Amino acid sequence: MRAYILRRLAQSVLVVLAVTTIMFFMFRVVPSDPTVMLVERGISEEARQALLERWGLTGSLWEQYLRYMGNLLVGDFGSSFFYRQPVWDVLLPRIANTLWIAVPGLLLGALIGSALGMVVGWARRGGAVERGGILVATIIRGTPSFIIGIALLAIFSSWLGWLPGFGMGDAGGATGLARYLRWDFLLHLILPLMAVVIYFLPENLLLMRSGVVENRTEDYIELVRAKGVSDARVAWHAGRNSLLPLITWLFPALAETIAGIVVIEIVFSWPGIGRELVLAVTRQDYPVAQAAFFLLAVMIVLANLAADLTYGKLDPRVVYK
Amino acid sequence: MSVTAEHASPRRLAWLTDPLRLLMSDSFAVAGVTVFGIFVLIAIFAPWIATHPPYESALSPEGRLLRLQPPSAEHWFGTTTFGHDVFSQFILGFRIALMVGVLGALAVGVISTMFGVISGYFGGLIDDILMRITDVALSIPTLPFAIVAVGLLGPSINNIILVIALLFWRNGARIIRSAVLTERERVYVRWARAAGASHLHIILRHILPNVFRVVFLWITMSVAFAILTEASLSFIGLGDPSVVSWGQMLNTAFSSGNLRTAWWWVVPPSVALVMLISALYLIGRAFEEQTNPRLRRN
Repeated sequence: MRAYILRRLAQSVLVVLAVTTIMFFMFRVVPSDPTVMLVERGISEEARQALLERWGLTGSLWEQYLRYMGNLLVGDFGSSFFYRQPVWDVLLPRIANTLWIAVPGLLLGALIGSALGMVVGWARRGGAVERGGILVATIIRGTPSFIIGIALLAIFSSWLGWLPGFGMGDAGGATGLARYLRWDFLLHLILPLMAVVIYFLPENLLLMRSGVVENRTEDYIELVRAKGVSDARVAWHAGRNSLLPLITWLFPALAETIAGIVVIEIVFSWPGIGRELVLAVTRQDYPVAQAAFFLLAVMIVLANLAADLTYGKLDPRVVYK
Repeated sequence: MSVTAEHASPRRLAWLTDPLRLLMSDSFAVAGVTVFGIFVLIAIFAPWIATHPPYESALSPEGRLLRLQPPSAEHWFGTTTFGHDVFSQFILGFRIALMVGVLGALAVGVISTMFGVISGYFGGLIDDILMRITDVALSIPTLPFAIVAVGLLGPSINNIILVIALLFWRNGARIIRSAVLTERERVYVRWARAAGASHLHIILRHILPNVFRVVFLWITMSVAFAILTEASLSFIGLGDPSVVSWGQMLNTAFSSGNLRTAWWWVVPPSVALVMLISALYLIGRAFEEQTNPRLRRN
């Protein structure tokens, strides 16, 4: 077990290293000159060199690469070309903002989705509930997240006029946690959060449904039924055993969905890490873009690792090699 | 020899006809195929259906720009904030969506099949190396990668298709590899090998036809992923400015601040995207359901 964890950890480190290397060369090789945005025109050659040095853009590509990787190891992402402040200071609040819509959104989506999936999975095969559930879930799954956002904006913001759909509301000078404990913030939170829930729900539903359908013909279900317990409890037995594949799928899905929340953040002008990535790319603010991309990639690697490790914890039949 | 050939001929195309028959037995899949077929027809005839050039500014008799006009006899779906005809842009969007979808999915299909077949069939060191490459590729966040890559390479439709190909081969390679692994161990493959058949012959005649179902499923899903990726990138503002795509239309409506009022401009591209992607998912779902014996209804 310990050997397995160590091996998976080493593997994860290698994967992160590879992704970071790909990313570094993508950013450095493709654009003609990363200093175009950084260095104002008409600046003297001396001042330009000094600036380049400050931003770590001198020396050969290899020297830059080694310096960059060294800085990454100590968690130094450099400074933003655009904001003229350390990348961490730019990204940390953005990450918090993203988590505000991502974490509750994904949890609610998984909870509601799997509950509905259990209902659809336990419904009569070929009946209206099953067919209707599958059709609606597939159509929602086929709806791009920005269209979900646009629909919510149209209904709740423009038509009914109940909820705001732009930004996070006025901070009123509040900082830290107090920034988030405002009524105004919560009102602004509802629509983007709803969008994440709806976006994430159908896949949970469909996965849970397949699990229940696969399990409902198993012998142990017959046994439970023979014991004379209520139908709902029998359904729960089938559902509980379908949770296992759902949970292992959930971690990578979480990570991938956080990366996919980018578009929802754009629709609602929610100042999260995904929106910042898009802004950084269009502003050619490479340090911020690189760091945001790196953090998202690390999240996916960690999520895969967590999925592998929990699977064994939950299913005693799994043997680690 | 001629006897076996005659005997085999009706089943020669089984790898193609079996998946099709399977599709036709699922009513959701039939609906998906029908929608997809209609979309393909509209895409083919788009230039003849469109009533105006997509970027032609509509002018009133007095020469004023007709911006944000609701639907009328002249402009069936109204006009944009620049006075462009929404119906014509919408119809031409069918071409772009299907072009991106089909080209992207074909590229994904070729790459993932090559990766999967080589990795699964030969095994050993080749398999190890290819699967480690796949592991790294699987750790790349999908949309952020697309944003960064298109941002760096420049927003053109070719770069968008390239990014789609780079992104979606990886899951397909895994799935196709595991299908190849089971095929490889079949008795007839070993016999063919023992009889002196070349690797290429075995792959082309025995492995590929038998994993075609999986390849087909992955290509279908890739069409949907490709369309979704192009639409998302265009909506974000990283689309090809020289083509009219649905994502692009929504982006223009969004960035010009008309998302909430000009429903005639927003609804058509949204509905078309949802219909097309859902239709493809319905086809894909039927495949998964029918090929998994524990899900099949008897």
